[in-house]
Formats: sequence, C-alpha cells, structure tokens
Amino acid sequence: MEKNKLIRVEDLSKEYKMGEVTVNALKKVSFDINEGEFVVIVGPSGSGKSTLLNIIGGMDTPTEGKVFIGDEDITKYNDKSLTSYRRDKVGFVFQFYNLMANLTAEENVELATEICKDPLKIAEVLESVNLSDRKGHFPSQMSGGEQQRVAIARAVAKNPLILLCDEPTGALDYKTGKSILSLLNKINKDYKKTVVIITHNSPISKMGDRVIKMRSGKIVDNKVNENPISPERIEW
Amino acid sequence: MKKLDLRLLRLIKNSKGQFIAITVLIIIGLIIYTGLSMAAINLEESIDTYFNRMNFSDLFIEAVELSDGDIEKIQQITDVSKVEGRIVVDVPFKDEDQDAKVRLISQGKDKEINKLYTVKGDKNIEKKEVLMLKQFAEARSLDVGNDITLEIGGKDIIFTIKGIVSSPEYIYLMEDEQSLLPTPKKFGVVYMDEKYLEEILGYSGVYTEALVTSKNTENLEVLKEEIEDQMKGSKIRRIYPREDQLSNRMVHEEIKGLKQVSSTIPLLFLGVAGIIIAALISRMIRNDRMSIGVMKSLGYNNRKILAHYTKLSLSLGLIGSVIGILLGSLLANQMAKMYLNFFNIPFLEGRFYPEFTLYGIILSVMFCVLAGLWGARKVLKIDPAESMRPDPPKKGGRVFVDRIGFLWRRLNFSEKMVFRNIFRNKKRFIFLSLGIAITFSIVIMPFAMLDAMNTMFDKHYTDFQLMEYNINFNRPMTGDVIEDIKEELQIGKIENKIEYPFEIINEEKEKVVTIIGLEENTEFYDFTSVKGDDIELPKKGILLSEGLAKVLDLEEGDNIEIKTFNNDENIKVEVKGIIRQSLGSNGYMNISQMREEFIGSNITTGVYINSDEDVKNRLDDLEYVSFIQSTKDMINIYMEFTDLIILSLGIMLLAGGILGFVIIYNSTIMNIAERRLEFSSLRVLGLSKKEIFKIVTKENAIMTITGILLGIPLGLYMIKYLESMYSTDIYTLRVDISLLSYLGSILATVIFVIIAQLATYRKIKNLDFIEALKNRIT
Repeated sequence: MEKNKLIRVEDLSKEYKMGEVTVNALKKVSFDINEGEFVVIVGPSGSGKSTLLNIIGGMDTPTEGKVFIGDEDITKYNDKSLTSYRRDKVGFVFQFYNLMANLTAEENVELATEICKDPLKIAEVLESVNLSDRKGHFPSQMSGGEQQRVAIARAVAKNPLILLCDEPTGALDYKTGKSILSLLNKINKDYKKTVVIITHNSPISKMGDRVIKMRSGKIVDNKVNENPISPERIEW
Repeated sequence: MKKLDLRLLRLIKNSKGQFIAITVLIIIGLIIYTGLSMAAINLEESIDTYFNRMNFSDLFIEAVELSDGDIEKIQQITDVSKVEGRIVVDVPFKDEDQDAKVRLISQGKDKEINKLYTVKGDKNIEKKEVLMLKQFAEARSLDVGNDITLEIGGKDIIFTIKGIVSSPEYIYLMEDEQSLLPTPKKFGVVYMDEKYLEEILGYSGVYTEALVTSKNTENLEVLKEEIEDQMKGSKIRRIYPREDQLSNRMVHEEIKGLKQVSSTIPLLFLGVAGIIIAALISRMIRNDRMSIGVMKSLGYNNRKILAHYTKLSLSLGLIGSVIGILLGSLLANQMAKMYLNFFNIPFLEGRFYPEFTLYGIILSVMFCVLAGLWGARKVLKIDPAESMRPDPPKKGGRVFVDRIGFLWRRLNFSEKMVFRNIFRNKKRFIFLSLGIAITFSIVIMPFAMLDAMNTMFDKHYTDFQLMEYNINFNRPMTGDVIEDIKEELQIGKIENKIEYPFEIINEEKEKVVTIIGLEENTEFYDFTSVKGDDIELPKKGILLSEGLAKVLDLEEGDNIEIKTFNNDENIKVEVKGIIRQSLGSNGYMNISQMREEFIGSNITTGVYINSDEDVKNRLDDLEYVSFIQSTKDMINIYMEFTDLIILSLGIMLLAGGILGFVIIYNSTIMNIAERRLEFSSLRVLGLSKKEIFKIVTKENAIMTITGILLGIPLGLYMIKYLESMYSTDIYTLRVDISLLSYLGSILATVIFVIIAQLATYRKIKNLDFIEALKNRIT
C-alpha cells in the first residue's frame, strides 16, 4: 500500500547569529515523513535536530527551503497562520514537560483543548495515559514521569496531525523513560498519529518506523526500519 | 471558567500580599478622588441652591452714609434689578464672662435680598427683639427666648432673641480679612428691626450699606463701574461683587482646594500603583517565559496572552475602584457632616453623584490596563522556540566600584556582592530608590505644613505684629482720645492708627484692601523685606504685603493709585517696599501722609497698646471703643485650630506611609522572587539565612540612603507646589523646614523600609533552596 506523504521538507536551511558568529544550524536538509509513521530523529547535541523540529512545528522559521504539511507550505505562513497551524495541527511534548504550575493535570490538558477545533475527550485521553486518578493533582505533586504523561495527554488531546517530541525522555530515569516511549508508541498505534521524536539517545531509534540521523546540520542517514522493536526491549 | 483565567486567579492567590497592597493604593486614590470630588460638588451645589433661595446679593456697597435718594439713584441704573439699603454697625455684646463684638444688621419684612433662613423661632421681630446668627448662638449657648445685652450708642439695651437664623452672607463667620479664622464666640451677627435701629442710632433715611442684585450677573464689574460713575461724590467707601464677599470667598477657596487635591493626589496614587503593576507584570512575564512559550506552542496568539496578563491589572483596577468608590462616597457623606461644623449652609447634604463612580472606574481602569499592557509588552517578543531553552546567564563584568582598586580591596565578599548587585541591576536600584524618594517626599509634606502653619502664626503674632492689644473705635475719632486712654492706663506704650479699606489700583488690576496708617518709627510692627532685610516705615509712600504685591503685579518703585471715594481724584503713591506678611494682605503708610492726603487731619480709627494692665476691663467703658483684640487670644484660637490641622496632617502622613510601604514591600518581594536562584546558590555554598538577609539589608540601606537624598529635593519641589497652591491673597505660606521635620521624615521613611524588610525576612526564611534550584517550572 502506497503511504500518503504528510510532511515534505525541501532544502531547509537555518542560520542564526550568536553575537558576531553565524551558526548554520541546518544545511539544505530534505526528507519526507509519511502519515502514521513513528519517526526518530537522532543526533548529538548541536546537530540541528531541535531547530528542525521547531520549524516543522511552526515555532521557528527557516532561512531557506520549504516545509509542506500535506499540500501547504508552512514556510509561507505569516505569524497568524502559524499560530492557527500550531493550534490545530501540532502537538508538542518537551523535555522539561513545561506544565503550568498552578493548573491541575486535567486543567493543563483543558488549557490546550479550549482553543482547538476538534479536541478529543479529555477523560479518555487521561485514561489512555493512565492518569485518571491523578487528574486533580498539581504538577508539583507529581513525579517527572507523571508530568510527562500529562504533557503527552495535553499534546494528544488537541487531536493534532503530528505529535512532535523534543527529547521526551531526556529528564527521566531509565524505567520511566521507557514507559513514556511505550505510551508514545501506543498513541501512534491507537490514535494513528504521526509521531516525531528527537533524541540524542541512539538506542531509541530502534523503535522508529523511520530513523533519521543528523550531524552538524545535515542528514547523514535516512532509512525505513522494517522491523521496529517495542520500547520494552530497548536497552541503553 | 477558562483555564487561563483560573491560572490568573491562582496566581493572584499565591501573591495576595502584593495584590492587596496595590489594590489598597488604588482604593486610597479613588477614595480621595470620589470623596473630595463629591464633597466639592456637594458644597458648590448646596451653596448655589442656598444663594438662589435666599436671593444672595450680586454687589455689596459699603458707605459712610447712603440716603434714600442715593438708593433711588442706584435703582434707576438699567442693569440693577433691585437695591436695598441697610444699616450695619458693630457694637459690643455685653456678657458677664466674656464680651464679644456683634455686627448689627437692620432687618425688615420688606427685605428681599440676602434673606434669612429661620433655623428656629420666628422671623418677625419688633422693637426689642432680635434674630441671632446660628454660629454665634451655638458658640454662646443662646437660644430663642434668651435675653442679651448690647451696647448701642453708649447705652446698654436688653433684647430678646426671637429666632435663630442662617444667612447666605455668613456661611463662614469671619469678622474681616484680618481674622483668618472664625471665632464664633467672639464675633457674631444680630438682626434688628430697621425702624427701631434707626431710632436708637438717630439715623433716619440713612444707610451704611446697600445690597444690589443685577439683571446681568455675567458682568458685575461693568455694573460696579457704572454705580461708581453715577455715585461720584457720594460717601461710598467700597463696592465689591459677590465673588469678593468674605464668607463666599472662603467657601470657594475651600472648594478650590478640594478640587485641586482631588485632581492631583489620586493621580499620584494611581500612578504609583500603575508603575508597580507594570513592574510586577513584567517580572511575571520574565518568570513565565517558558509558560508563554508553551501557550504559544499550543496555538495561543499574542492577543490572547496579552489579554491574560492585562486581565490581572484590569481586575485590580476594577476591585480597587469599586471599593474605593464605595468608601469614597461614605467619605463624601462624612465630609458633608464635617463641613456643617465649619460652614453654615442649611441645605448642605451629602448627595451621591453617580457620574463620579463612572469617572473613577474609567480613571483607575485606564491606569491599570495601560500599566498592564506596558508591563506585558515583552510577551510579543518572546519566541516560542527560544523560550524553551533556559535563560542565558546574566552578563557579568566589573562594576564601577570595582575599578576603584583601593576601595574594592577593602570590601569583603558579601560587601562586594552588595555593590555588584546594585550596579548590575540599575533598573531595580533606580526603581526602589525612587520609591523611597517618593515616600520621603510625601512624608515630609505634613511635617513641612505643620512647620509652615507654626511659622505663619508665630511670625505674624510675635515677629511681625508686636502689639498686645489692637483696639478699634466705633467711629473715626480725633487724636485727642489717646490722652483719654492714657488716663485710664498709667503704664504702657500706645500709638494711634488708621485702618480703612481702600481700593488700590495698578493699571488694569485693582483690589480692595485695608490700608493701615502707623506712626513714624512705630514700635508695633517689625517690617522685613521679602529678602529678609529690615525695612522702616517710609515718610511718604506705601509698603505692600507680599501676597498683595503679587495679586496686583507690583514691584518696589512702582506707582499705585488709591481710590478714596470721597475724593474725585485718585491719590498716587509710590511703593516703597514689599514686605513679608503671612496672614492677611495690607498696605502700610505713614499716618501723617494718610491724614494729610486723604483722611483728614488728626483722625484716628483706633490704637495699639502694650501694657501689663487689664486693658480690657479698663477700656471697656469708653463709649467709642468698639472692639479690643488681644494677641494672646488670637494665639489661643490658633492653638485650637492647630489640633484640627494635626488631624488632617496625620491622615496625610498615613497616606504617605501606606504609599511608601506598598512601594518598598512590592519591590523587595519582587526582588526576592527574582533572586530565588541566586539566594539558593548562596545557601548551597553555605551562607546562613542571616548572612543572606544581611546582604539584602545592606543593599536596601544603600538604596534607602540614595532614596532619601533624592527625596529631599523632590520633597522641596512638592512643598514649593503646595506653597503656591495654598497661598492666597489672604495668607502667604512660606515653608522653612525645621531640622526636626527632616529628622522626623527620615525616621518615618526608615520605619516604613524596616516594616517592608521584615516581610522580606520571612520570605528568605521560608526559602526552600533545594526546591528552587531543582525546579525550573514557574
């Protein structure tokens, strides 16, 4: 079966100035991502993967190149269109969870769904991340893994096209990290969401349908993994 | 409820101390605004109603005598609607305990101008019946049916009080411009049947005053000039419009003062509240950088996020204004009641004016929303991708003090930290220092005002006027009476004087003032120039008080004209000097020049006396003595008045204190919150809570000193403003701040800083440094 291309990145470059030095974070990067794929972008820190993720997520703009989401080139978007793109099509998961401290787990999720067109049922999403009994807790009352699960629920409940995860296990211990990866895997399968994870932790790439390796702003490898293994079996 | 609003509510709950403090500022601002604005309008409208109902005179004419014919002549003038003559004489009021002076005013059933409002009893009087002004009756505990003794034409006559009345002419009961304060026990007004008064005074068809109502109230000056023209050669002394009528003028000064305060002080409070809100929100934005990034990544647009933070300031503005307006309305009501003690206005009521509610809300919401937007403006600049990364460390580097090697080497570690902190956070340093400067300048104001009040009275009654007794005759006498008086009093100094109101003209400007004629080398006045040099009373020419010179725009060496009414030609006199006079405004001339040029030889209207004898009792029986004023009494009256002033100054001090506390409290709390990480690192390094508190205290001490140093010129500037605001032609305020006042204000400021510091200490004590270091979420 021919899969639909969801994301098409063409000759994407990003330069930014840090003081007097110009940094080429991305150098003419091109690749495609299919609908429903679980993609792992792996590379050492400073390889440009976060910049790439931010541009795909509509949080940053490239210096050159194009990013198509379906047929739309989001690099042509103005600030307003980018905002509604983020609102309706993208879900973000961050390394440090970034929950609102004075909102409960449930309220953090509601904060995201309040402004979406077609959100999922919050109770269901919280159930699927296994947090139904913790929904009334504030972030400070939860462990890192629990907070990250709230963050995933927040991203998923928006019912986005793409789930973008920036080092989702970076701040977590081995066991919790694995459970988060399982959860993301489950969401990819159950909700049929395209999931893009970036990580510097290369063993994680074994679970991806597609693995993109980056170094110094370039893609050094991009291949389809015919036999992804379940996160439970990954060791690092 | 929207989740963002919920977040906001919890945010407010978590730092309620700060929000309450800001709200208190808004509340005070609006209490003053609504309270005083409404009080001013209440007064204004009540007076208008009162004047309309009592048909208050448009022009007042004072004369040596006016005949029926003169009255008829004035009535013929086109613009004159109605004119009424009346007899007004000041006579002694006899009482066993304490004599007083009463102004007798003739009254009849046919009187239509300056009608009396009957408070009690009956308005219709016959021969030996009188109506008494409410203030005097109350001060003297007199009531309808009581008998009083008045000395008229040298004879004691007993009258029965038939009614207690209020008059639009005596809302504020003051004898003349020189009195400054009402002394209702010592000066009163009594109305008597005109026919009977004519009979006992031996006047027939002769009046001393006339009241005029005009068809064209817009242009009373024109009418005044027309009457002057028509009546040339008659014995008119002065004509003045209702604006210049003493009681009316005093009430309007009060209204003007209320309006001035209500339009400036609230702006100060709201302005400070606004600055703190802006600072608070901009700090929140800085702390919320990551949350804002998250909101943006979730698809919240800038407008929504800006609105989120502005709602905070909007709610502060709304809550503050609603409470402020409610309390302000209560205050307006209280003030109306308080004014009843000062002003006798039968229709005075504390009405509620809804428009001020609206203005108040608009005003405070405007301040708060603008401050909120200003504070939150950096939201626009936050880049969502960027905000996910931790803040880059603050730029370090050598500071100014660092470069002064020999000084720097002497400082220990924590002192170096103090200086680096101050110099690296200039904005914070400036904000706090300015806050303390504002506090100091507000705190010093009541102290300065108290100083000014003291100097005003003290200077006037001990340095400027040196007489112990000031005696007025009931009619102009010849100089021989001085021998008479000398016979009564063996010991003491005595000098003749002339006190008469004249119109002084400088080209377009004119003003009716009392010119005082004094003997050459008088021992009863000590004149000093504005610069502070001694001035002698000139043989020829006039000395003018500072306030008067200002009103007429005159300088030393200028020439003025004095209008004398009984001469056709105005008399030209040179201004020989401008003198300091804190109370009242007068001209001073050599008595012989006055006699020669426009009064008549050997005339005197009273005497000044210094004597250890019981002057009052000795001179009481002299038929021509109408009034004996002792300086001691005046000082006592002032002392009573000071109590009142101290109360209002205390309120001002309290307001300044609250303002200062809120500024300092908020900025230190913000400071601590911003520096949680820094303090936690220091704790980890092993510094004790006490040592950190010491660092903060040292920083605050330096800022307090800077603030006070800045506050002194700021305070002086504000006091200069107060001086010009409160100085009228009746009194000139000159503030010389005493050392004690400086010390008092410094102490008060330091106390406010210390109270705010204690709150800071609590925050440091409760600082969980491990949590602060670990937890990077907001």
